[in-house]
Amino acid sequence: MIKVSHLTKRFAGCTAVNDVSFEVGRGEIVGFLGPNGAGKSTTMRMLACYLPATSGSILVTGRNVLSDSLEVRRRIGYMPENVPLYPEMRVDEYLRFRARIKGVEGSLIRKRVHEVKELCGLKDVGRRLIGQLSKGYRQRVGLADSLVHDPELLILDEPTIGLDPNQIRQVRALIKDLAQRHTILLSTHILSEVEMTCQRVLILNEGRIVASDSPENLKSLLQSGSQIVAEMRGPREEMYEKIRTLPRVQRVAAYELDSWVCFTIDCEKDADLRIQIFELAVRHNWELRELRIGKKSLEEIFVALTRGEPEEVLP
Amino acid sequence: MRCFLPLWRRELAAYFLSPIAYVVTIFFLVVMGFSFWLLASILVQGEGGVTVMKELFGSVFFWLALLVVVPLLTMRLLADEKRTGTMESLMTAPLTDAEVVLAKYAGALSFFVAMWIPTVAYAYLLREFSSESAPIDFGPMMGGYLGAFLIGAFYLSVGLFCSSLTRNQIVSAMMCFAVLGLAFFVGFMPYVSRNPAVQVLGMYASSVTHMLDLSRGAVDTRPIVLYLTGTFFMLFVTVKAVESQKWR
Repeated sequence: MIKVSHLTKRFAGCTAVNDVSFEVGRGEIVGFLGPNGAGKSTTMRMLACYLPATSGSILVTGRNVLSDSLEVRRRIGYMPENVPLYPEMRVDEYLRFRARIKGVEGSLIRKRVHEVKELCGLKDVGRRLIGQLSKGYRQRVGLADSLVHDPELLILDEPTIGLDPNQIRQVRALIKDLAQRHTILLSTHILSEVEMTCQRVLILNEGRIVASDSPENLKSLLQSGSQIVAEMRGPREEMYEKIRTLPRVQRVAAYELDSWVCFTIDCEKDADLRIQIFELAVRHNWELRELRIGKKSLEEIFVALTRGEPEEVLP
Repeated sequence: MRCFLPLWRRELAAYFLSPIAYVVTIFFLVVMGFSFWLLASILVQGEGGVTVMKELFGSVFFWLALLVVVPLLTMRLLADEKRTGTMESLMTAPLTDAEVVLAKYAGALSFFVAMWIPTVAYAYLLREFSSESAPIDFGPMMGGYLGAFLIGAFYLSVGLFCSSLTRNQIVSAMMCFAVLGLAFFVGFMPYVSRNPAVQVLGMYASSVTHMLDLSRGAVDTRPIVLYLTGTFFMLFVTVKAVESQKWR
């Protein structure tokens, strides 16, 4: 669906995207993840034929975005960041206008507009002025606009930014729904979103792709050892020493919670030390209220990839 | 050019939905109404001649109205799209740059023409309420309208170009006003320079002279060609300006 090779974009004095190559297959949901200024929006703008690349090539459905731009644009539904709309138009009016300029056939416009309104939950606001809609509804109008010509590829730049948690959930559900019929490329800097919606993640940092894999694989890839979380009450120094000297323990971090101490124990790969820790607690008569396998969130991986090591919490 | 019509319609509708357009129209009609009052008061004195239409189309008020109204009509066209970011959704739709620019220009020109429509009533009023059988000749009047259309078309294309250069409506309006003012005052060169070349150039480029000729009913093809080619050139430059902004 998308084939990007050695894509570079330089603006005066800075390189926004630096030698990026990736491919997206038909029907995939791919998430662009990265801190602000990583080059996500710039890459998407280049895919959507809004910005030309400094060097490198982009093929969308086998067509070059520079030489065959109109044809590519007909196949892409692009929702820009912050969803620019005409505030003086009504929702229906706007969607019909967008359908028309995107080349939807005259006889199909009414049907398509009706469909996307239904899909995006805009049925009750068709007569409202866009300028008077709330942020959540405007976001949906933008999404409806990007869907109205039934594109093969959807490019959504930060589709959930500025929404409240309920709306975020709705938009995510909608995106998952759409994935059955469209290929989707979305960008975000919210990690849980990628974990929830995407099959594959491309992590960008300073204009380069630093990782590309499924969220699960990324996690296991970066989780070289396993991690155990234990919350215990007892003499702090002694507990810390005893746990640290257990076999196959690599590192122990601890912080205090009221009178409890929460240990985060990094062990060697595939080592499950829960039994040993439990026995340790029983033998020394320490109280134990939580003992579980800790999972590194994508957030830690993200930080590890984009900033170096995660911060250590030392006793 | 398949998408020209919906784009043009949106552009025209945007005028009717914005308060600026109404304020500008009212200003324009008040000024033109004052010109009409001057014309009528001259006709009352019984001086009706071939040059009487210049009171309507060649007066200071007419030029004041044109030079102020055009920048206000065009300032929004491209500058506002860039400021609000709608340029991005417009340019990622399957549209060519030329389509977008032409539709915007056509929208502005249509509104400009619509603004003139109420002034057609002046001809009716003169016909109906004058004691003379034919107080004014329709020829010079049509000439005046032709001149207003041609000069307006050219000025609007200049305004559209200025709007393509900036994101700020005020900057766009000021730029347009300055350029139009400059173009307007080229016509007064013969009065300030003794250099024959400058005098000839000034005579050819003088919008005031063109309007005076046309409102006498003398339709010369030279100004028509001048304004049409000028408009065409400005639109071409605007398309290039919009194209080039992608590469920066």
